[in-house]
Amino acid sequence: MGDILQLVLKRLGLGAITLLVVSILIFFAVELLPGDIAQAVLGQGATPETVAALREKLGLDQPAVIRYFHWLAGALTGDFGVSLVSGERVSAAISDRFVNTLFLATYAAVIAVPVSIVLGVIVALLRNTLFDRVANVLTLTSISSPEFFLGYILILYLAVKSNYFPAIASLSADMSFGDLLHRTFLPALTLVLVVTAHMMRMTRAAIINLLASPYIEMARLKGVPPWKVIVKHALPNAWAPIINVVALNLAYLITGVVLVEVVFVYPGVGQLLVDAVAKRDFPIVQACCLIFAATFILLNLAADVGAILTNPRLRHPK
Amino acid sequence: MSTFVIGYYALLIGASCLAAYFNKRNIFILVFSLTMISFITGIIGGAPALRFITTAAGMLALAAGTSYAFREFLIIITPEGVSKELRTAPLTAAFGMFVIFTYALAGVFAPVIAPFGEAEVISSAFAPPDETMLLGADQLGRDMFSRIIYGARNSVGLALLATMLAFIMGALAGLLAATKGGWFDQFAGRLADVIMSVPSLIFALLMLSIFGTNLAVIVIVVAVIYSPRVFRLTRAVAGNVVVMDYIEAAKLRGEGTWYLIRREILPNSTAPLIAEFGLEFCFVFLLIAGLSFLGLGIQPPTADWGSMVRENATLISFGEMTPLIPAAAIALLTVAVNFVVDWMLFRSSGLKEV
Repeated sequence: MGDILQLVLKRLGLGAITLLVVSILIFFAVELLPGDIAQAVLGQGATPETVAALREKLGLDQPAVIRYFHWLAGALTGDFGVSLVSGERVSAAISDRFVNTLFLATYAAVIAVPVSIVLGVIVALLRNTLFDRVANVLTLTSISSPEFFLGYILILYLAVKSNYFPAIASLSADMSFGDLLHRTFLPALTLVLVVTAHMMRMTRAAIINLLASPYIEMARLKGVPPWKVIVKHALPNAWAPIINVVALNLAYLITGVVLVEVVFVYPGVGQLLVDAVAKRDFPIVQACCLIFAATFILLNLAADVGAILTNPRLRHPK
Repeated sequence: MSTFVIGYYALLIGASCLAAYFNKRNIFILVFSLTMISFITGIIGGAPALRFITTAAGMLALAAGTSYAFREFLIIITPEGVSKELRTAPLTAAFGMFVIFTYALAGVFAPVIAPFGEAEVISSAFAPPDETMLLGADQLGRDMFSRIIYGARNSVGLALLATMLAFIMGALAGLLAATKGGWFDQFAGRLADVIMSVPSLIFALLMLSIFGTNLAVIVIVVAVIYSPRVFRLTRAVAGNVVVMDYIEAAKLRGEGTWYLIRREILPNSTAPLIAEFGLEFCFVFLLIAGLSFLGLGIQPPTADWGSMVRENATLISFGEMTPLIPAAAIALLTVAVNFVVDWMLFRSSGLKEV
């Protein structure tokens, strides 16, 4: 067990370093601005006095390294400073929206993960049949479509033409849970379509790869029934790739969620980020980017740790 | 029961009987399962649903026919070696090539094909389609059809430019890392790790918020974001080539690094790199389309598919299809490129799947 712990700890340490480097990248990218933030926000017409005043207010008179550590310490305690445009605290603007985004992503994941794994295994078992070909073309089409295309198609057919679901996912505090699920169904479905396609293809590839290995052939030759080959022989070894596939695709949800939130006017972090980018509200952009990047890195980390835990071969590197 | 519905089922059942009689198993399964599905959808949706299935099947058949004809055409006009390869191409790949060819035509000859200029205001906002305007007008009264044609030039051109830049940077760094090794290899590898550990859209948004949204910034930022993929692949492929004996021989002859890369390594690693170029193009194209859709990509009045969807999105709430056409154009090209890449990967992997 000591070995596993060491490996996992090593991987976690690497993840922490990556996160640190990414935070440095996010913070110092803003330093690349021609001039500085105060100049960029106020524009060319600003008088030197106002620029100096804003500079002092933002603490820009201190060296960048010190400001970075202040920012990082704040970020660790959930304090991302003050919005440049509204003067509101960034943490206050983000906290509710973060819960909303998390809800949407979870909603999509709860539907997508079981469906795509089951479909992926079925397609792998029926490989090179007509069903497999059709599924291949369909998933490829779904992957190749921009998220907003799928989103608008769903709006057109399920909200405008037939009125099953609302086109705009506006939320209010006093909604019942069922109502919430109904309101957010279309954005969740859009994400499900994209992620399911990815996950199905990756699950299929992983299973086919596995079924080609000699020990499966051996099991078949000694007369084990097909379902037993899958359940007893293939599945235990398939967990590692499948866990990997799931984690990677949940990470993919992060990017998808930004576009989907904009399409459905969903009050989440993605929408906030896009607005902040257009307004050049740097504290919000930095905070949102850090949150998205951290989630992305954590999910990738989870994939690696999951792979180490389920695959004994990785525990004994040659 | 209208004559259409009776004719519909008669045709399907007749076709499945014929297929069964001549022992065409796949065709039989296809046609008969279509009949079964039609029974269910016909009961639920009635004649309109059947009409929809007929249209869809007709379009599929048309696409298949076109791709078949296009493949035969390509086989005839290409020289011996290439045509032999083309004969093995599945219909999906031929369809992909046909679509890419069409887009290239539309992009290159946009001013000739489009009846109006891309920024020309010719009627009132959201005017319905008529004889002069095939698809109606957009939110400012510009011809939608002309803008879609020009979009082929602008959106695809920009994505192509960014892909090429990403490819040059990534491939050059990868080749250098493979041949030189040492600190450069380490440095480039870690840099690629950092870039890849931030989601691409998020990274792009961060950079665009800082440098503003002009075309040069978009191309460079997108190229930087996607070059690590190329870097890793090139490094892996070239790493396998570098250990070969003929590289050793060339080194002993006293050839320089540049010669090694250009004359020995590159010719032996082109196949996977070409496939990667196609995949990379899809990623870049979708990312730029996403950025444009968010209003942060190509700026108006330049016609661009991503921003066209956003600008005309209000029409969707009136049940109009037109705003979806540019989005469909994006999807169609990406699918087409993916089809071709799929075939190439399948070919270069040497039929690995069981």
